[in-house]
Order: sequence, then structure tokens, then C-alpha cells
Amino acid sequence: MKFSLNFLKEFLDVNVSAKELAKLLTMAGMEVEQLERIGRDWVFDVEVTTNRYDWLSILGIAREAAVVLGRKIKITYPVFVKESSLKERNIIIEKNQDCPYYIGRIIKNVRAGSQVNWLKERVMNCGITSVDAIVDVTNYCMLKWGNPLHVFDNDKIEGNVYVRRARSQEQFMGIDGKQRCLGKNNLVIADDKKIIALAGIMGAKNTEVDNNTKNIFLEGAVFSPLTVRRSRRAIGLDTESSYRFERRVSGVFLEYASLEAATLIRKLSGGVSGGCRKAGHKPKEQCKRIVISFCDLDSYLGTAIPKMDVKKILTNLGFSIHNTAKDKITVLAPILRFDVKREIDVYEEIARVYGYDKISPQIPFLTACSNTNLLKFSKHNNYNFKNQVRKYIALLGFREIITHSIENQKELRDLDDKEVVLIVNPLRKQEDSMRTTLLSGMAKAMRHNLNRSVSFLRFFEVANIYYKEAKGFCEIPVLSLGISGKLEGFFYLKGAIEELFNYVNPVRCLLSNGVKAAGLSFEEKSVKNFTNSLAITVNNKMVGFLGKLDRKKKENLGLKENVYFAQVNLSLIEDKSGENKYKPFSIYPAVYRDVSISLSKGVKFKTIEKIINEECRYLSNLRILDTYKGKDVPSDVSVFTLRVFYQSPKKTLTSSEVDSIHERIRNRLSQQEGIKLR
Amino acid sequence: MQERLNQLQEEFKKDLQGSKTTKELKNLKIKYLGRKSTLTQLFAQIPALPNDQKGLWGKKLNLFKVKINLALENNVKIEDREEESLDLTFPSASCQEGSRHILTTVNEKICSIFERLGFAVIEGSEIEDEWHNFEALNIPLEHPSRDSFDTFYLDLPAKDKGKYLLRSHTSPSQIRIMKKTKPPLAVISPGRVYRPDEVDATHSFMFHQIEGFVVGEAINFAHLKGTLLYFAQEFFSCDVELRFRPHFFPFTEPSAEVDMSCIMCKGKKNKETKCSICKNKGWLEVLGCGMIHPNVLEACGINAKKYQGFAFGMGVERIVMLKYSIDDIRLFYENDIRFLKQFSI
Repeated sequence: MKFSLNFLKEFLDVNVSAKELAKLLTMAGMEVEQLERIGRDWVFDVEVTTNRYDWLSILGIAREAAVVLGRKIKITYPVFVKESSLKERNIIIEKNQDCPYYIGRIIKNVRAGSQVNWLKERVMNCGITSVDAIVDVTNYCMLKWGNPLHVFDNDKIEGNVYVRRARSQEQFMGIDGKQRCLGKNNLVIADDKKIIALAGIMGAKNTEVDNNTKNIFLEGAVFSPLTVRRSRRAIGLDTESSYRFERRVSGVFLEYASLEAATLIRKLSGGVSGGCRKAGHKPKEQCKRIVISFCDLDSYLGTAIPKMDVKKILTNLGFSIHNTAKDKITVLAPILRFDVKREIDVYEEIARVYGYDKISPQIPFLTACSNTNLLKFSKHNNYNFKNQVRKYIALLGFREIITHSIENQKELRDLDDKEVVLIVNPLRKQEDSMRTTLLSGMAKAMRHNLNRSVSFLRFFEVANIYYKEAKGFCEIPVLSLGISGKLEGFFYLKGAIEELFNYVNPVRCLLSNGVKAAGLSFEEKSVKNFTNSLAITVNNKMVGFLGKLDRKKKENLGLKENVYFAQVNLSLIEDKSGENKYKPFSIYPAVYRDVSISLSKGVKFKTIEKIINEECRYLSNLRILDTYKGKDVPSDVSVFTLRVFYQSPKKTLTSSEVDSIHERIRNRLSQQEGIKLR
Repeated sequence: MQERLNQLQEEFKKDLQGSKTTKELKNLKIKYLGRKSTLTQLFAQIPALPNDQKGLWGKKLNLFKVKINLALENNVKIEDREEESLDLTFPSASCQEGSRHILTTVNEKICSIFERLGFAVIEGSEIEDEWHNFEALNIPLEHPSRDSFDTFYLDLPAKDKGKYLLRSHTSPSQIRIMKKTKPPLAVISPGRVYRPDEVDATHSFMFHQIEGFVVGEAINFAHLKGTLLYFAQEFFSCDVELRFRPHFFPFTEPSAEVDMSCIMCKGKKNKETKCSICKNKGWLEVLGCGMIHPNVLEACGINAKKYQGFAFGMGVERIVMLKYSIDDIRLFYENDIRFLKQFSI
């Protein structure tokens, strides 16, 4: 809302500079967002918060300025005289709820099209376009009192004036020239034949005042805030007028505004009164009596404000005070302060004028840690676990990324089968759903960097995925890992997953049982868009997957290097990292023996592992030393050297003990189909 | 014997001069001092000598052995010198570090500051309903105050708490926690929020907020100021100042917007150069806060006559951008490695 200093000065002696006034207003709660000098005037642009509709009028602002300056506001209220009754037409209100009060005035023989400079300046410095003296007067009065007024060309009105709901599909062309289709949500002003205004929002072209207008009909009304809100939202408009009605206007000030407007119009554009007619009743604006206890005030704010100061502040704000008891007062809010409904609203008024800076900060002694229910709630929350996972994965050398949760449904359906949660009002058409997988986010981040000649990326993300389910929807935390461009990237990723589970579930078992990190195992599983893929299972329940993105998807996503990706559902994983205990390791040395193996493509490595595990109880580790890829190696065979480590927790193994086990292993391996020893 | 010794010594000299690598030196050692070497054979012949010559030859052979050892050791120093003459000005090999995202680390840091005061950290969910996001927070659905909270609505069947949407602030967590647990409460709730704002250098439709609230029997406005001042001084610097300006939020009364003294220029208005961060205003808006409105407490089933509370909220991206001089919010979600690696664990 813009207001000009000169306008303000009509009602208040301002004895400080514009900049100083701006600062005082801001610190009391009316934030001056911009201050501009225009000619010999200063224009303030203030933020009017939705609870202070009284600031939508210069008088309301003047009252606020008076409080911060410690001066008294000077208003001359127009004097009501007996007026002739408007006989030409009737004013009929369909529903009182929509329009409790309507005042119509006719002024005959006006000179339309004239310009009055001081009026023009007032209106323009408040950011409203000047038209001619008549329209400017209506805007001047709206700015001053907060009540929007409207003028119609009286000769273009046919019959009575009705305040009613529009009928379905009824047509309306506003003064902006646009044709619109109305409905039951729109409140309109109409005559016997047509709609002449969208109530509280905009007048119609058919009754617009122009240079030929001789007689005008001046409308002033109180419309229901909710009705105007629904009406303007249905039609997609927002005007200075609707803005005020939506926040509530005063019936008391309406009477002043209408009278003053009529008087001013006659003075500046000539004309004589053609009568006044009122419909409905001035709505009751009596504010509630609120009892304030000084004790409660001080304990609410955490400071002791002297009682004299409290009373002075309230009086300056226009409250009326009645002493009830020694420690209490009863207050009544001034007119237009509908936002003051209960004692805390009064506390706020006192505090902001007194000055928040006068309240000394104190650190509270919080006893919430003794609230066991709260602690329980906190423990079940994922916050700590997710942070620990992030720290651990970063330790492994991955970088955390954060990508958008909103993506395109078509792209998502290509990547995952879960049912997508759509957004009803997306910002951009293509970004219309919540993501069901972290793959596209990972791909985007990788593509960005790969296109800038960075390679061997290792990224991770911990974020939620969302999808529809039988009983509604799911929002679950998920970890994604991505590696680009590394040879044998698949096994690197697999190793990272194993390390993560070793950390999270440290019931580590020695390889002699053939079981990795309690319950963790990898099962072969085909996953859409991946060539090599495994399911990650814990105690036979699938908690995630990993794989190499297939060539087609890799090209489709614009990735220049091979990408290996894993995703783990964190909600299915129990955090047992806190249960970690030291496990003693053997003090006796390990002994190793090598075996060179040629493995046919049809046979899996796990066959070898199984055989070794069955034969050997002293197995402590298996390591692949060298993989041969020479010219003399046929393509359907893998050739490598396997180093087998033997160790006992109780004694040093002798050469002969180790040799005999190793011999047994060699024999069984050579007997196995597809395995040849070299 | 003498001839063979002389011959051996000549051979050794030649071989030593010819060896350049550690491997060759090792081979020399084996050749001259090993089990099968000529010298060992010579030693083996000593018992066959006449008694008066045993001592003499023993000494001569030993002397030679010592000479060989010494010579070999000295030559090992060649390798040392080679190593020392390495050009150390060559570029270093990169150490492959991992890192967490700056938003994560700052989130954690802020939460831990409040945890020190006794707050519990509890996250809420991103998909919310109208009741928790608006009505319970004293924002009636058909009211102008609703207009400043534009939201993304979701295509999910609405239940009794209104339509589903993406939360536009972390305040709904307050409601959920207050409904489930009764005071005394002190909770910090970080999380992702969404607003349909056009994306530019300072706005993103998806960002992060941290919400905090305290409810108890004697909680007041001074406590709110003290808590936030403690946070600002711990997170930014111990000489930072805060300014509380009266404002309006539907869910708090009294409400305030909190400005922080500019970390760059410290409020000293330099007429020549405008401070790039605060544009010479001297103050930066960082938080919104206030005493929790009794309507909100009552919507959660908490007796507003017995309990009072305060609440505050901050935008994480904004705070990070201020502290680290980041000028474009889009950098957080672009994940360019040149950005990510500037911040570590």
C-alpha cells in the first residue's frame, strides 16, 4: 500500500523527516519497504499485513504514525445534514449476508472530464491512476477512509439497482474491456436489464462515466469479505477495491466517505444533489471488552512494563480504558481494529509500541528432556540414523548430492513401476509428479558434471521417495549411490554396500560361515533399465538393488560414461550400529596358498567359494590376485589366481596341516565341471 | 689361494662398477657372499691348509668379506641419493575425498546448537493435509492470510483433514507433535518444504526450513529472544546482534521478524562501496518468530490458560547463502562438483 507524506499531513503534524518516520513505523510493525521522493512529496510503500486492514486507509496509517510520533491525530468528520431522498430508483439487496449496507447518491449536472491538480497529486502519489476529478474523488475518499466507492453514469442505469448473485453464464464486460462469463459465486450490481458492476471488484463498461456524462450515481457499500473473495478468485481478478472489501471495511466510515465524496464532487465538478438512499443496516462494529491483567502481561512478555506506560500506549492507540481492579484494566479497541479480539492481541499492541528491544533476552531452562514421551517420539524418528548413514558414505569417498523431488511422470514411469503421486497445480507442466526413485536425480547430477569433463564420479543421496499405495501413499527415506566411469565399477559399488551394512549391522561373522554382515546377501534379479543387476537382501527380505545402467537408458539419459547405481530403502533397515562390540582376532599368523584357476563362463565364482567353505574351517580370507587377459586366454573363460588365507584362532597352523587342506580343495575344484587348475 | 683371491677382488671391482640398480646390487651380494659363492668355497678350503696358514688366510678372507659388505652398503647409498634427487616440484596426486552436502552439514550444526539447550530433533513428513498445514495453524482456508501461502496440491484422495498437499512450511510438524505429546516440549524440526515460486537466484520451489518451538508453563517472549540470540551467536559469530521487528503471522501473537547485523560490513555504512550482502541496510532478515497463538495450542488439545510457548522458523538456504557468500540458490541443487567439493564432512 502506497501513501504520500503530504496526504498524511492532512491529519497529523509530522515533525520528523520522512526517513525518520519510515524507521519509526518499521520498528513498530509497519514495514516501510520503499521510500521515494516525488516532487515535493515523499511516497511510502508499506507492507500491510493481513490482520491490519485499518492500514488500508490513510486515517488508519495516520493513527499509527500518531502513536509512534507521540502526537494527536486531527480529523474533521463530515457533518450529517438532512438530505433529500433518492426517488428515481430503488435499491434492492437480495441477501443481507452478501451486502449488509448500501448507500446510493445521485448528483446531477456534473462537469465530467475536468482535472484538479491537488487531487490528482494525492491520488497519483498513492499509486492510483488519475482519470478525472469525479473518479479521482472516489479514489481519494477510498484512500482516506478505506471504503471503496464507485460512480456510474446515472443515465445509463435502467430501472432499479439490485445487489444480487449472478446467474449461471451471465455475461459481463468490465471497464477493462474484457468479456467475462459469471456464475453463482459472483456478486453483482445490476439494474432491471443488465449487470452494471461486479460488486466490490470492478464496474461495467456499459455504465462507465465518460466526458459526456451529465448525471452520476455514487455507490458506497459494505460487502461480505468472503463473498468478494470467492467472487474475485472465480473470475481471476484482484483490484484496489476488492483488496479492501476482502479484508473488511467499516460501515461507520462508509457513511463519512460517501458523504464527503458527494460533497467534494459537487465542489470540484459542479452539480447538485439528487438525493440519497440507504439499503440495509450499518453493521455493528462494537469491539469486545477485553480484561488485561498486568501480571499476566508481564509474565507473557518476560519483562515488567510500568503500568503508566501500558495505559499511555493503549490510550495513544485509541483504546478506551476502564479501571476495574488494582491489577486489571478493561479495554475497548478503537474503531477499525477488528483484529483485536483477545488479551494476547492487546499484549502485542503494548509490546510493539513499547519496543521489543526493551525486553531483555533470557535463556530458558528447558525441562523437555525429562519428557519421556517426547524422547520416545524422538528415538523413533529417522533423523540420527540418516545422518550417520550420510557420514559413513562420505567417509567411503562419496559426495552427497541434493536433487529435486519433483519430476516428470512419463520419465518416472520409464524408470520405476510404483504408482506416481501427481501434482494438481504444477509450476511447470513437465514437472508434475513426486519422484518414485532417486535414479533420475542421480543421472541429472552426473550428466551435469560429465558434460563438464569431470569423470570417475562417486555420488550419493539420502532423500524421500513418494508413491501411491492401497491405503493412501508412502513417503520413505532412501539411499542412492552412483559411480561413473570406473572399470569394475559394479564390484566397487557392491563393496561399498557391504561396508555400509557392516557398519549398520555389525554382527560381523568371519567368512568361515560364508555369511556376510548378518543376513546380508546378494541375489540375482533382473531390474528394468539395468544390464547387470542384483537384489540386496537382508534376512531374505529385499531392501534394495544395484546394477549397471544398460546402454539404451544410458544414452537416453545423456550420460557419457557407464553408470553403476544402487538404491537402498532405509526404512527397512534397522540401525544396530550402536550395538557394535569388539571381536577378538587371532594372534596366530595366517598362512596362504595360491591356486590358479580357469573358470568357464557358465560356472559362477560362488561355486568355488562354496567348495572352499565346505572343505575348510580355517579359512580367514579369499583374495583374487591377478586376472589374466592375455592372447592365449579364450573368451569364454576367466583366468585368475586365487589366494587362500588360512588362520586358526587357537594355534599356529603347520605347513602340513595347511597343505593337506589345500590339497583337498584343489582336488575338489579340479573335479568340478567348468573349473580347471593351471 | 692368493691368485684366486686376487682374481675375485678384480671381478668384484668390475661387477660393482657395472651395477646400477638395487636389484643388481642384491645379485652381487648373492654372487659374492651367498652359499654357493666362490668366497664361501675359499673359506671351505681353509681347514685343508697347513695350521700356520689357517689364521692368515682366515683373516685375509674375512677382510675381503668385510670389504665386500662395506662396498655394497656404500653403493646402496647410490639408490638413496637417487631417491633424494627426485624432483619434488611435480604436481601432487589427488586424494579422493568424500563429502556431505553443505545443506546437510549446516542443518546438523543448527540442530546441534539447539540440542545443547535441551531441544529434541524430530522430522515431519513432506506430504501434509490442509488441516495440519493451515487450519490448525490459525490460517482459515478462505481468508486473505491464506494468500501468502501458495501451495502445491496433490492428486490423492482427500480424507477428513482436507486435501493433501506438499507442506509449504515446517510448522505442521509442530501440530503433529503437540497433538501426540503434552508439554513441557522443546522441539527442532528440520525439513524440506515446497512453494510454487518461480525459480531464480534467490527462490526455489523446493527448499529447506528449520522450525523450532517450546511450550511450557512459564515460557515468555524474553525466552524467545534469548534462545534466538544464543543460536545466532553460536552459529554466526559471538558479536552478532539481533533486532526484533513487530510483524504478523496467523499462528503467533505477538509476532516478529528477526534481523541480524550484517556479517560482512557489520552495519558500518560505507559510502563508497555498497555492502554486497546487506546493500548498506546493515541488517539481514533471517528468522520469523513469535509466541504461539492460543488458537494453535487449543487446536492441539493443549490448555492455553496453563501453557505458553514460542515458535520460530528459518530458511536454511538463505542462512547458508548469507554465511558462505553463495549468490545463487540454484547451486545447491545443480550438484556441480566444483561447488560440492568446497564443503567437506
